[in-house]
Amino acid sequence: MSLKRITKELNDLGRDPPTSCSAGPVGDDVYHWQASIMGPPDSPYAGGVFFLSIHFPTDYPFKPPKIAFTTKIYHPNINANGNICLDILKDQWSPALTISKVLLSICSLLTDANPDDPLVPEIAHIYKTDRAKYEAQAREWTKKYAV
Amino acid sequence: MPAISVKLVAAESLYKRDVFRSPDPFAVLTIDGYQTKSTSAAKKTLNPYWNETFKFDEVNENSILTVQVFDQKKFKKKDQGFLGVVNVRIGDVVGHLDEDTTGGARAREETITRDLKRSNDGMAVSGRLIVVLSKQRSSAARSSTRSSAETSGASSSSGGLAVPAGPSGNDNVAALSANSGGSNSTGQRNASRTQSHSRSQSGAHTPRATAASVEHTLQNSAANALSTRQYSSFEDQYGRLPPGWERRTDNFGRTYYVDHNTRTTKWKRPTLDQTEAERSGQLNANTELQRRQHRGRTLPTTSNDSSSVTVQTGPGSQTPAVNGSAAAAFAATGSTTSGLGELPSGWEQRFTPEGRAYFVDHNTRTTTWVDPRRQQYIRTYGPTNTTIQQQPVSQLGPLPSGWEMRLTNTARVYFVDHNTKTTTWDDPRLPSSLDQNVPQYKRDFRRKVIYFRSQPALRILPGQCHIKVRRKNIFEDAYQEIMRQTPEDLKKRLMIKFDGEEGLDYGGVSREFFFLLSHEMFNPFYCLFEYSAHDNYTIQINPNSGVNPEHLNYFKFIGRVVGLGVFHRRFLDAFFVGALYKMMLRKKVVLQDMEGVDAEVHNSLKWILENSIDGILDLTFSADDESFGEIHTIDLKPNGRNIEVIDENKKEYVELFSQWKIVDRVKEQFRAFMDGFNELIPEDLVTVFDERELELLIGGIAEIDVEDWKKHTDYRGYQESDEVIKWFWRCIGSWDNEQRARLLQFTTGTSRIPVNGFKDLQGSDGPRRFTIEKAGEIKHLPKSHTCFNRVDLPPYDDFESLDKKLTLAVEETIGFGQE
Repeated sequence: MSLKRITKELNDLGRDPPTSCSAGPVGDDVYHWQASIMGPPDSPYAGGVFFLSIHFPTDYPFKPPKIAFTTKIYHPNINANGNICLDILKDQWSPALTISKVLLSICSLLTDANPDDPLVPEIAHIYKTDRAKYEAQAREWTKKYAV
Repeated sequence: MPAISVKLVAAESLYKRDVFRSPDPFAVLTIDGYQTKSTSAAKKTLNPYWNETFKFDEVNENSILTVQVFDQKKFKKKDQGFLGVVNVRIGDVVGHLDEDTTGGARAREETITRDLKRSNDGMAVSGRLIVVLSKQRSSAARSSTRSSAETSGASSSSGGLAVPAGPSGNDNVAALSANSGGSNSTGQRNASRTQSHSRSQSGAHTPRATAASVEHTLQNSAANALSTRQYSSFEDQYGRLPPGWERRTDNFGRTYYVDHNTRTTKWKRPTLDQTEAERSGQLNANTELQRRQHRGRTLPTTSNDSSSVTVQTGPGSQTPAVNGSAAAAFAATGSTTSGLGELPSGWEQRFTPEGRAYFVDHNTRTTTWVDPRRQQYIRTYGPTNTTIQQQPVSQLGPLPSGWEMRLTNTARVYFVDHNTKTTTWDDPRLPSSLDQNVPQYKRDFRRKVIYFRSQPALRILPGQCHIKVRRKNIFEDAYQEIMRQTPEDLKKRLMIKFDGEEGLDYGGVSREFFFLLSHEMFNPFYCLFEYSAHDNYTIQINPNSGVNPEHLNYFKFIGRVVGLGVFHRRFLDAFFVGALYKMMLRKKVVLQDMEGVDAEVHNSLKWILENSIDGILDLTFSADDESFGEIHTIDLKPNGRNIEVIDENKKEYVELFSQWKIVDRVKEQFRAFMDGFNELIPEDLVTVFDERELELLIGGIAEIDVEDWKKHTDYRGYQESDEVIKWFWRCIGSWDNEQRARLLQFTTGTSRIPVNGFKDLQGSDGPRRFTIEKAGEIKHLPKSHTCFNRVDLPPYDDFESLDKKLTLAVEETIGFGQE
């Protein structure tokens, strides 16, 4: 089940790669991928390239893939370990979702953070009270870790 | 990062576990739980001399070196060969690793001798370990770091998306690089990487071409990947968690820690700094708490001891309101027989040789323990409360053979069944309409228990069954003792003895026995059982239990112990997933049972049923199963891997998949378990219960602290001050423990409460407090979401309707009605 599905997703990605992200297996293990996302131009992450690790569970697509940033990023919904707080990776997961769709959702999370459901409350607080400071900080981290 | 070398010299005075032979000791060395090396085995000695040197890279002063010693002959037997462990923080021994070593000539060496410690299973160990640690020279350290980064598969390649395996992966990276306008040949990139192997060097190149910056990012991410590499759940960047601890992530991505020793969770990372004494102190305190909870468990109608005294102290307190009007009438008439007046005509009072009164009815030539003057009141206040019928007792008939009626010191009537040595408030001859104020399910469960206990197959056989175990070795000892006896022997009166402890088993000792044993045999460390994906306290059979070649014998043994507990009315301190109870009752497992096993899979299967999947999901009638890293494809029906799942046949697929995931994967284990169980409890008898009742029968009903429950409840759409919420808690307050346990089963899927109370309640995705949500229409019943420990409570108009609907929901929705 999972192997066939993952192979299919890989082929689809090759045939019709989504803009500004890419993904593929690491080595021989089809269940372990690495992905990259270009920081969206209209966000303080512009110019950065962010790497993520993807682990597919054996029960995929019945269970969501485990995705985490391996590049440090300053974002209210992404913590220091790279964990992402995104509903479709948790209880809103559906077997019809694909890695491609998930990566696009993460891209849009970079453009539009969700400070009302924060994973890092300190960043969310700055985001809400002093947007300029947040953007400066996010740009600085992007420059430091993702350029 | 620096490297160290570790020379494992020797161990001395190891523990002698066997009388006649010495172990073949070898040691396993681990740094931070991921670099693992081992020595060769020394032969037949308690003082092994290895003198082997190992080099570890990527070490910092916070790294923890763990050295475990095992007996090679017994290594495969779970925990059998364990001879002790030593944990060393590198910085404590060799100091700061970044410090320059003088002259770079020879690395400083430190020889340490440490006592071997036991692991948390408490097996005795002894002896010392001699280890020499030394820092590698810094230049050597650097080169070795690099070589290890280049050779150590996963960690370096995870950073190196630059060289993906699949052709499409290449395309993607090409797209990325093309975007940046730089070179994209893998060869060049590799060359540039070798050139700039340290971050600072490559940092110098950043302003140049973007290709280089991509390259740099790769470097960075490689470095990141090293620091955030995939740690197993028993370790993190600070090293290994203390034994028995596991790291998990909740639905917000927050990390929390599960202590399997105490079955508790914490936000704070546990440290190894805690001394042995502190830890064992904590463990003991926790066990004591669990023990107290376990002792407080009861079932309706049964007293734990056969003596009548417990009627007032034990279950008496939890079944106060259950009786019909009959008992109340008695209470009103006074407590002694002398005030009851003359016997009806044709009756005579006689005494047994022991001096106990009984009554002879010469009209019918029958005898009874029951005083007919009491008897007539029961008749008087029958189902129709209006007319007083002076019917002779003979019309009601005598009590069934072996039954006796008695009075408590508060003048309440209760009945003793000498066959099963149980007591009950209910007159076994009366129709159940008498206690119509009691919810149906409750009445049923109580009656079922009485019926069940009264069956000849469940009578205790004459004689005694002696079981002697060592407290420290209870699992293995109990296995030997229980498997060597016949099922018939096990049905004799249990006489449990702990080695070296005085005390006759009048109930307390065997309660302790079942308490301790259930903690051991269901402990996931033995790989026989595992926690469900739902929480970390309901357990299920581990499909990979075959790692222990003896596993089927152990499952048979565990089945026997569960049966033994039910037979001798002792409770186990263990709670299975709901599906397992259903399987024990030979009921078909359905999709809904998946919720308690794996909520995510449940949701996906539900999604499949509710949405069109044609052209969206490429499923066949097969499933992937992983065991020890190997993935096998299993057909869910003949040739299943070649049959497409489409909307027309997806219902069958969901059924087969659920069946496979829950039942088929553990078929052998379950069969062995039931073989053992049915040797004590016949299959056709246990099926009088439903799955929730079976949980209560095996685990008992706990004392439930409503204040604690209330304190750790969350509200959605409601405030704690809302009338409906006040009614809710008033309603729960008025219920007894069984009804509360039923509500918990309804809402959380199990009647178990975490040891530390409701604050530790777990949902399918981490800690989840009990939650009441405002949802539903007032004419509907409350609904539950067991994944999230949530009950949807419509805003009812008054207390009465809330009470009624809640009771009904809990009572009526066995097996359906939840979402």
